[in-house]
Amino acid sequence: MQGGSTGIGYGLKYQARCISDVKADTDHTSFLTGTLSLKEENEVHLLRLSDGGTELICEGLFSHPNEIWDLASCPFDQRIFSTVFCSGETYGAAVWQIPELYGQLSSPQLESIASLDGHTSKLRCVLWWPTGRHDKLVSIDEHNLFLWSLDTSKKTAQVQSQESAGMRHYLTGGAWDPHDFQMVSLTCDSSVQLWDLRTMKKTDSIDRAHVRNVDYDMKKRYMLVTAEDDSGIHIWDLRKLKSPVADLPGHSHWTWTVKCNPTYEDLILSAGTDSAVNLWLASPSIHDHSVQDSSLTSQNRTEPLLNSYNDYEDSVYGLAWSSREPWIFASLSYDGRVVVESIKHHLTR
Amino acid sequence: MEVEGALPMDDKAKRMRDLLSSFYSPDQSIPGSPPHNTVSRFATLDTINTTSFDADQYMNLLVQKSSLEGLLQKHVEMAAEIKNLDTDLQMLVYENYNKFISATDTIKKMKNNIVGMETNMEQLLEKITSVQSRSDGVNTSLFEKREHIEKLHRTRNLLRKVQFIYDLPTRLQKCIKSEAYADAVKFYTGATPIFKAYGDSSFLDCKRASEEAVSVIIKNLQVENLKVKLFEKLKQFLVDLDLEYNELTNVPVNVDESINPKSASTTTHEASVHEFAEAIRAYKAIFLHSEPQLCNLGQDLVKKHFEAIHQQIMKHVRSADLLAMLRIIWTDVLLMDEVLPEASLPDFALQHARVAIKDYTCSTFSRLLMNISDTLKKYQFTVKEEMEEEYPLRAALEASKKSVIQGSMDALMDFRLLLDENPELLLKLRDLTIDWVHEGFQDFFRKLDGYFLLLSGKKITAFQDVNLIEEMPGEKISAGLVLVLAQLTLYIEQTAIPRITEELASLSAGGGVRGLATDPAEICRIFRSSGESFLHLYIKMRTQKISVLLKKRFAAPNWVKHKEPREVHMFVDLLRQELDEIRSEVKQILPEGLTHKHRRNNSNGSTTSSRSNPLRDDRLLTRSNTQKARSQLLESHLAKLFKQKMEIFTKVEHTQESVVTTIVKLSLKSFQEFVRLQTFNRSGFQQIQLDIHFLRTTLKDITEDEAAVDFLLDEVIVSSAERCLDPNPLEPPVMDRLVQAKLAKTSEQGGDEKSK
Repeated sequence: MQGGSTGIGYGLKYQARCISDVKADTDHTSFLTGTLSLKEENEVHLLRLSDGGTELICEGLFSHPNEIWDLASCPFDQRIFSTVFCSGETYGAAVWQIPELYGQLSSPQLESIASLDGHTSKLRCVLWWPTGRHDKLVSIDEHNLFLWSLDTSKKTAQVQSQESAGMRHYLTGGAWDPHDFQMVSLTCDSSVQLWDLRTMKKTDSIDRAHVRNVDYDMKKRYMLVTAEDDSGIHIWDLRKLKSPVADLPGHSHWTWTVKCNPTYEDLILSAGTDSAVNLWLASPSIHDHSVQDSSLTSQNRTEPLLNSYNDYEDSVYGLAWSSREPWIFASLSYDGRVVVESIKHHLTR
Repeated sequence: MEVEGALPMDDKAKRMRDLLSSFYSPDQSIPGSPPHNTVSRFATLDTINTTSFDADQYMNLLVQKSSLEGLLQKHVEMAAEIKNLDTDLQMLVYENYNKFISATDTIKKMKNNIVGMETNMEQLLEKITSVQSRSDGVNTSLFEKREHIEKLHRTRNLLRKVQFIYDLPTRLQKCIKSEAYADAVKFYTGATPIFKAYGDSSFLDCKRASEEAVSVIIKNLQVENLKVKLFEKLKQFLVDLDLEYNELTNVPVNVDESINPKSASTTTHEASVHEFAEAIRAYKAIFLHSEPQLCNLGQDLVKKHFEAIHQQIMKHVRSADLLAMLRIIWTDVLLMDEVLPEASLPDFALQHARVAIKDYTCSTFSRLLMNISDTLKKYQFTVKEEMEEEYPLRAALEASKKSVIQGSMDALMDFRLLLDENPELLLKLRDLTIDWVHEGFQDFFRKLDGYFLLLSGKKITAFQDVNLIEEMPGEKISAGLVLVLAQLTLYIEQTAIPRITEELASLSAGGGVRGLATDPAEICRIFRSSGESFLHLYIKMRTQKISVLLKKRFAAPNWVKHKEPREVHMFVDLLRQELDEIRSEVKQILPEGLTHKHRRNNSNGSTTSSRSNPLRDDRLLTRSNTQKARSQLLESHLAKLFKQKMEIFTKVEHTQESVVTTIVKLSLKSFQEFVRLQTFNRSGFQQIQLDIHFLRTTLKDITEDEAAVDFLLDEVIVSSAERCLDPNPLEPPVMDRLVQAKLAKTSEQGGDEKSK
C-alpha cells in the first residue's frame, strides 16, 4: 500500500482545493489547478505531464483575482475554463480564456470571457456537460440552480433559466449526467436531488444525509456514485432509488470526493480528509447484491479496495482522472501538492 | 356526365346504356348533376343537362359571352348533338318495342304447355289406388303366420326359466366355492317366488338342494362379519389407547414433581398395551392371512406416538420428558414386536425417532435465538421509556450475555441428558444426534450473527427467520444498543464459543462419526469481524451526531462579521454533553484499557508525540506574542515539515479510552474541516481560539492519545488562522480568564443541579 513513491509531484505555492483534467487537450495529458489563499495573490497553474510521464511541467501560470473554490475545464476547448471564487463575503463565477501568447508574456493575464453574475448566495460550483460540445453551463449556489447559455466566440453568457431549490435546502454541489444533457444531480443537506433542465424541476431525490460529492458513471448509464461524510461511498441505480446497489467503506474520516474512471468500468477513485486517496473496484458481484448469507459474502466478496495512496500531508480535496490516459489521475492535497499517479499495474488484474 | 359535340364511336353504346338506365330509374340521374354552389357561369353552361334548364337564360349567356365565330361553331355543335339525340331516341323506342314482342311470345308458349296437363293427372290417380289394394291383400295373408311365431317364442322363454330352476343348486355350489356370496343370494332370491308356487309339487328336489346351499352361504357370511367386527374393535382400542397416552404425557409437563400419578398412568398404559398386544395375538391366531392389516395397525400406533411427541416438542418439552416418552414408545414397540415380528416395528420406530430428535434439536436452537433477541429487544423498548436502572446498558449487556451462555449451556445439558440416558432407541441414533447438535450450534451462531447485523441495520437482505423480521422494530436502533452488540459479539467470540466448543468436545468424546462438525475458528472469525463493524458503527453514529452539532455551529453566525468573543461559546457545552453521554455508555459496556494514560498506540506513524509536544509549546509561546502573529503561520508550517505525519486514525480497540479517543479525534478532524470551509475576521478567529482553548482543558481528562488530540486542536487553530483575514490571536491571560469564568459557571450549574 505504499503507493506514494510512484507518484509524480508538483508543489503549488499556496493551499489549494481544486484540480481539473483538461479534456479538450488531445495531445497532452494536462491538468488545471487553482490556489486558495486569502491574503496572497492566487494563481491558476496549467500542468502538463511530460511525454515520458516522468515529470509535471508547468505550462502556464496565470494570476487570478480571488481564491478559487471550484475550477472546471471546458470539455471542448482546452483554453477555456471556469472558476468559482470567493473571499470573505464576495463571491462570483467566471469563464476564462487562457491568452494565446502566454509563452512570451512574463505575467499573462487571463482573458475573461464571461462573468456569471446574478447569484445571490454563496456559489458552489460551475458544471460543463462532460461529454462534448454543449453551449450550456450550470452554476449552483446555496439555494439556486442557474442554466446559462454560453457563446464563447461572442464572449457572452446569458441566464437561460433559473430555479430555486427552496430556502430550506443548502445545496453543496452537483454533477451533470454525461448520458443526458437534460439531467443534473444536486447535493444538498439531506438528499441528492435529480433535476430536469428542460422543466427546471426536481424529478426525484435520494434521501441521504451528508452527501459531499456525486459523480455519474461515464460508461454505465443510470449509475450514480455518492460520497458521504461518515458512511462511505454508495453506488445507485437511478431507476431504483430506494437503496443503493452497492456500498464501499470509504475513508476513515469524511469522503470528500469521488470520481468514476472515464474508460474502465467500475473503477472508482475517492479522496478523503484522512489524507488518503483510495482506488476501488466495485466488482459486478457486489452490483448484483442479491440475497446473500453473511458468511457467503465474507468469503465470496473480493476486497473492493485496490489500493490506498496515503502519502499525503493533508486532506485531499482535488481529484481528476485524465481522460486522455485513463490510467492516470491527479490528486491535490490542501497543502498545495499535486500528485499524479498511474494505476496501470492495477488494470492487469 | 358532360355532353360534347363529337363523341367517339365506342362511347355510343355506353351512352345508350346510360340513357336507358336513366329512363328506368330517373332518380339516379340527380346525384350525377353538378353541385349547386359552383360559380354561376359554369352552372348555367352545364345546366343544359339538368331539369332546371332555362333555354332563354342559356341563350342570353351564350350570346353575351361568345364571339360570332364561336356562336357559329356552337350552332354546328348543337345541330350535331340534336341529331345524335334524335337517333338515340329512335333507338330507344325500337328497343322497347322489341321487348314487348318477346314478352308476348313467351306468354303464348306458356298457355300451350298447360293444356296437356289434366289428362296426365287422372292416369296417376288410377295407378295409386291399384297399388293400395294390392298391399292390403299381402297384409291379410301374412297375419296368421305371425301369430304362430309369437306363441312359439313365449313357450321358449318359459322353458328357459324351468331350466334355471333345475340348475340352481349346482350354480349355488359354484358360487360358494368361489365365495361370490352376493351373486348366490341374488340367484336364490330370484328363484324364491317359483319355489313358493310350485315348490311342493314338481320342483321339490330342486328346492331342497337349493336351500341346503343357501344355508351354507349364510353360515359363511356370519364368520366373515365377525372378522371385520373384531378388527374394527382393535382399531377402536388403539384410539382409546392413544387418548390415554396423551393424558399421560400432559401430566409430567404440568406437574413436574408428582411422580405418583405419572407412574400410575404409566402402569395403566402398560396394561392397556399388553391387552392390545394380546388381542392382536389372538386375532392373528384365529384368522390366517391377516398380517398386512395388523402391521398397518401397529405402525399406526407408532405414528400416533410420534405425532404426540412432535406436538410436545413444539411446546418446548424438556429432554427428560422427551426421554420418558421415547422410553414408553420403545417398550410398546418391543411388546408389539414380540407379537407381530412381521411389521418390523423397531425399524419403523427408529425412523420416526430420528425425525423427532432432529425436530427437537432444531426447536431448541430456534428457542435459544428467540430468547436472546427478546432480551435485546426488551432493552430497546425500555430505553425509549424511562431509564430506571442506573446502568441500563450494562444491565442489557449482562442479561444478553447470560442468556447466550446460559441458554447454550442449558441446551447442551439437555442434549447430554438425552445421550447419557441411552435408551435403546437412542443408542442407535447417538452419533447422528451428536452431529446434529454440532450442526445446530454452528447454524445457531451464524443465525445469531445475522440477527445482530439485521438489528444494527447493517444488512437489509432477507433474513431466513421470518418471525424475527416481523418483530423487527421499525425505528432506528439506538447507538447504545450497537455498543452492546459490539461487546456481546466480542464476548461470544472470546468466551462463549470456546466454552461451548469444549463442552461439545466432551459430548462427542463417546465417539462421533465425523468428529467435530463445528469449526469454531470460522465462527470466531465471523463474530470478530462483525464485532469490529459494530464498534465502528457505534463510533460512526456518535461522530455523526457531533458532526451535525458542529455543522449547525458553523452555519449559524456570519463569521466574517463576528463580534468580539466575550465568553466560550455554548456549543462547547453541547459537545461536552454529547461526550459525557458517550462516556457513560462506554463506561457501562467496555472494559478499561489495560495500559495507563499516555500510552502510544501500536501504529508506527505516531511515534512523533515526544517531538510534537515541545513543538506545540514553542508554538504556544509564539502565539502568546501578538506581535509575531503573522510569522506564526510560517512557524506552524515549519513545525509540520519537521514533524512526522501524525497518525490520527488508528485501530480501534474494545476499550473505553480507545473508543472515546477515536470519537474525539474524528470530531476534532471534522471541526478542522468545517473551519477550513469558512472565512473569519479577527474576532471569529479569536472565538474559535477561545473555544479550542477551553476544549483542550476538558478533553485532556477523557482521552487516551493526548498527543494526537493536542495535535488536532492545534490544527484547528492553525486552520482558522489560515482562513482568517486578520489572524491576531487573543492574549493568553484573556483566554485563561474567560475559560476560568466558563469553568466556574459550569461548576456552579453542576452544583445547582446537585443541590436540587
